[in-house]
Amino acid sequence: MRYTIDNGFYKTEKEIKKERRTALQKQPVIIKSSKNGINLVLDETLPFDALLEEIKNKFVDSEKFFQNARIAISFEGRQLSEEQQYEVINVIEKNTTISIVCIMEHDDLMDEVIKRRMDAYVEAHSPQTGQFYKGTLRSGQQLESETSLVVLGDVNPGAKVIAKGNIVVLGALKGTAYAGADGDSGCFVAALDMNPMQIKIGDYIGRSADRREPVRGFRKKIREEAAGPQIATVYEKQILIEPISSGLLKNM
Amino acid sequence: MSEVIVITSGKGGVGKTTTTANVGTGLAQLDKKVVLIDTDIGLRNLDVVMGLENRIVYNLVDVVEGNCRIKQALIKDKKYPNLFLLPSAQTRDKTSVNPEQMKKLIEDLREDFDYILLDCPAGIEQGFQNAIAGAERALVVTTPEVSAIRDADRIIGLLEANEIGKTELIVNRLRMDMVRRGDMMSVEDVCEILAIDLIGAVPDDEQIVISTNQGEPLVGSDSLAGKAYQNICRRIMGEEVPFLDLNVKEGFFSKLAGVFKR
Repeated sequence: MRYTIDNGFYKTEKEIKKERRTALQKQPVIIKSSKNGINLVLDETLPFDALLEEIKNKFVDSEKFFQNARIAISFEGRQLSEEQQYEVINVIEKNTTISIVCIMEHDDLMDEVIKRRMDAYVEAHSPQTGQFYKGTLRSGQQLESETSLVVLGDVNPGAKVIAKGNIVVLGALKGTAYAGADGDSGCFVAALDMNPMQIKIGDYIGRSADRREPVRGFRKKIREEAAGPQIATVYEKQILIEPISSGLLKNM
Repeated sequence: MSEVIVITSGKGGVGKTTTTANVGTGLAQLDKKVVLIDTDIGLRNLDVVMGLENRIVYNLVDVVEGNCRIKQALIKDKKYPNLFLLPSAQTRDKTSVNPEQMKKLIEDLREDFDYILLDCPAGIEQGFQNAIAGAERALVVTTPEVSAIRDADRIIGLLEANEIGKTELIVNRLRMDMVRRGDMMSVEDVCEILAIDLIGAVPDDEQIVISTNQGEPLVGSDSLAGKAYQNICRRIMGEEVPFLDLNVKEGFFSKLAGVFKR
C-alpha cells in the first residue's frame, strides 16, 4: 500500500482519493491559490471534454477576480497528459484575460523525498564529522573540506588547509590554516607542532611572529620551550594558542 | 635500457647545471654510457660548464623539428668517449618544444645509453614540464636557504603530482662554518622540512667556480666537492656510501682562539 503525506498525517492513497471525491462531488473544478500561483483541483471521474467545459465555466465566472492576471498553474486530483494540460490552458486563455505563465509540477511525495534526502546530506556533512588526509601538504598545495579536517602529516610553509569545521594536524603545522571558513569563530586548529605562518578562525586572523624560521644554533632552545601539542582558538577577538591539557579540552 | 633522471630545483642558481655536469662526468668515469640533455631553451649553459660550446653545430630544437638526426646533434666529451651532450638552443625559447616531443626523443635515446640526465630550467612552467616529461627519477637540488627550500618543496609537490618515481635530495653549497655558528641550516634541518631521501650533500667550494670557468667538471678530484659528487654517483648506481664528514679541519691557532672565546 502506498502512503502519502496529507496535511501531516499518513494516509493511504485510497483514503485520500475518497476524501477528495466527496469534497469534489459538487465541484468538479476547484481553484485554489497556492503560494506560487493557482492550483487547479480537478475531478477524476469526469470525461475530459466535460471537464474542459467545467473549467471554462469556472474561470468565466471568476473572470472579474482574475482580470488580466499572469499566473502559474498546477494541476491536482487528476493526471493529465501534456496535450490535455495544454488544452486546459488554451481553454482558460481563450475565454478569459488570464495569461498562464507556466505549469508547475505538484507532487507531495516527491517533495518529501527531496526533503529527507537533503536532511540526510546535511547530517552527513555537518562539522561533527571529519575528513582524513594522509600525507604531507607541500608548498603550493591547498586542501579544502566542507566539514572538519584531520591531516596525518605535515603542512609545509606555503601550503593551505581550509575547512568549514575544525582542523587537526597530526604533524607540524608550518603553513596556513583556515578553520570555520564560513564564519564560524567557534572552531579550533590543533597541531602536534604548532608553528603556523597564519591562522584564521572564522573572522579572526593571526600571524606568526616576524622572527624567521629558527636556524640551527637557536633551534634547541626554542624547541624545548614550545614543545608539545597546541591548540588555537578565538579568545576575545584574537587567536589564542595554548598547550593542550585535559582541563582545556573539558572546557571547550 | 637506461635510467632517465631529471635534475631540478625550482629556484634558480642553486647548482642544477653544475650538478648535472659533475654527476654525468662522474658516471662516465665509472664506465657508464651517459648522455646529458640541456632542456633550458634560450638560456643554455650546460655546454659552457662542460667546456663544449665551441663544438655545437646542431641542438635539441633542431632534433625535435627534424632538421637533423640525433647522432648529428650529440657532442662527444673532450675527455670521456662514453659521455655525450645534447645542447639546447640559444636563439629560441621554451615554447619551441613540448612534452610529447621530449618523450619521443628520450625513447629514441634509451637503447644507446645507461643514463640519460636532463638538466631542468628554473621555474615550474613549460620548461619544467618539458624536462620532467620522460623522466622516471628526480634529483632535487637545494641550498640550505629558506627561499630555496620553499621552492624545492613546491617542486617536490609537483613531482609527486606528476608521479615521477624516486625523488631524492641533494643539499648544495653547504658552509659548515656557518652551520656551526648557527647561521645556516644543517643538512638534517633541510631533510626534516623536505621529507625526502638524501642522496648527497656538497660543500661550498671555490674550486667549483674555477672548474666552471675552465669548463672541466671537478668530480673525482681531491677537492671536497669533487669527492662529494663522486659519492653521489656511486649512490645513484645503488652503492651504499657513508656521507662525508664535511667539517674542515681547524688549524691549531683557530682552536686556541676558540678556547679563549668561550
